[in-house]
Amino acid sequence: MESRAGVLEWFRFKGKGIGYFGYAFQRLSGVVIVFYLYLHYIVLSNLLRGPVTYNDIVGSITYGPYDIFVAFDVLLALVIFYHGANGIRLALNEMGIGLKHNKLFFYLFEAVSMVLLVAFLYYAWRFIAVG
Amino acid sequence: MMENRNLIRPKTSRGTLGPVQWFFQVISGVFLVFFVGVHLYLAHINFGHPIAFYDSVLNNMHNPWWLAFYIAFDWIVTYHALNGVKGIIYDMGIKPSTRKVVAYGLIALYVVSIIYGTALAIAVSHIAVPPP
Amino acid sequence: METGSKGILSEIMTRTEYEFSVKRKDDRGNVRYSRYMVPKDRISTVLEGLIYITENLDQTLSVRYSCRMEICGSCGMEINGKPKMACSTIASKLGTDKIRIEPLKHYDVVKDLVVDIDPFFEKYREGLPYIIRDDDGNYASELKQTPEEFKEYEKYSMCIKCGLCLDACPIVGTDPDYIGPAAMAGVLRYNLDSRDQGSKYRLEIINGEEGTSRCHFVGECSEACPKGVDPSFAIQLLRSQGLKHEIGKIFRRE
Repeated sequence: MESRAGVLEWFRFKGKGIGYFGYAFQRLSGVVIVFYLYLHYIVLSNLLRGPVTYNDIVGSITYGPYDIFVAFDVLLALVIFYHGANGIRLALNEMGIGLKHNKLFFYLFEAVSMVLLVAFLYYAWRFIAVG
Repeated sequence: MMENRNLIRPKTSRGTLGPVQWFFQVISGVFLVFFVGVHLYLAHINFGHPIAFYDSVLNNMHNPWWLAFYIAFDWIVTYHALNGVKGIIYDMGIKPSTRKVVAYGLIALYVVSIIYGTALAIAVSHIAVPPP
Repeated sequence: METGSKGILSEIMTRTEYEFSVKRKDDRGNVRYSRYMVPKDRISTVLEGLIYITENLDQTLSVRYSCRMEICGSCGMEINGKPKMACSTIASKLGTDKIRIEPLKHYDVVKDLVVDIDPFFEKYREGLPYIIRDDDGNYASELKQTPEEFKEYEKYSMCIKCGLCLDACPIVGTDPDYIGPAAMAGVLRYNLDSRDQGSKYRLEIINGEEGTSRCHFVGECSEACPKGVDPSFAIQLLRSQGLKHEIGKIFRRE
């Protein structure tokens, strides 16, 4: 029946306000982060398997044959910074701040967040490369 | 309070801590910006050793303040994450009976997750650092 | 109305006409788009275009309308993908000659542009949209209200129950049980009314699983509202009202 739209409708943000786009990607980024959270539990559990195993695993995803994970990490950082910035905007809305200027607040927070992201990636990259 | 005779009994469920959960979602989100910021800085920029290898992680976890930090972090992030997932599942339009099942399932998942996470953190903090 | 048979003539004629592309649905459930050419100098609003079509081009087109002045709330539909009232949408201001008209999303379609609006009204009624008093109803005179007290809730009383906000809300689309922005604007209108004493009953309802906690502040409902009711702001206010009520309940039990 026409009254039930599919979940894909959450992502049809074209032509709608900034709040719709923000909502769609807040959901998407949230799901990605939850998925990563449990993956992180699994990787960290290897700490119990001793230094050789753990260092092997971490080394292989940073330097070694599986360093494609560094690319995923960059995407993850992007997603986390987006989710956090939009979340701060929503928290301010809850307190009644910025309700009339959603577009401005969204772009402002996301811009600050992306600047911080670039700074973070730069230092993190230097850290891997130089140590 | 005097019960009003003219009320039409509504069909939807009565107050079930919805606004309290929402409030905690927002507050935990704000705290997490701080927690995640500290964690990302520590793990990727300044861990005293390239990319959080075994020794540096252990040294960090031996410090009781950091242990407390990570346990609190775990409890808060798991709440925020599972509450968010609950919102997404509810928004997909499930029946009221299914909602109860989903809610209890996610509570169970939360309890299991924090028990595992806390146990892991405490276990790691008790491992002796191997001699270099 | 046929376009001209010669190339240039047809060009000239389409520039003097709007092309209405209306989504149809018949009693067997077949969906198609019907194309009508409506002369520009005969209509100004989209609703006038639809009435022109029913009177001159196609009597089988079903469309709901009444007052033609954006107060009855009947003629809500999607015009070029956006939820609007047909009676107040001026065709020449749409920026294009091709006007695509579809029934409101998130409602079941009865026929053509007519949708089943009952769920909207059921949800509105769930918000107990009437004055509730805790006394026995015997008064010496009418319940008085100053203009300042009226201004408190005036914005939220402007709702014409057109249903556009439920079309705009993405949560209503995937979860039909969500009470929706209009009902909650109605709840706030009565909660802020100085003559009303029934806030606690309404807050119980919207504190539930299908109330304020399901709103994620997308803001499309306020964009779509033709009367400036601003339901997304109403829901924000109801969140803090509801939270105070919920916390108050915990302490009152103890």
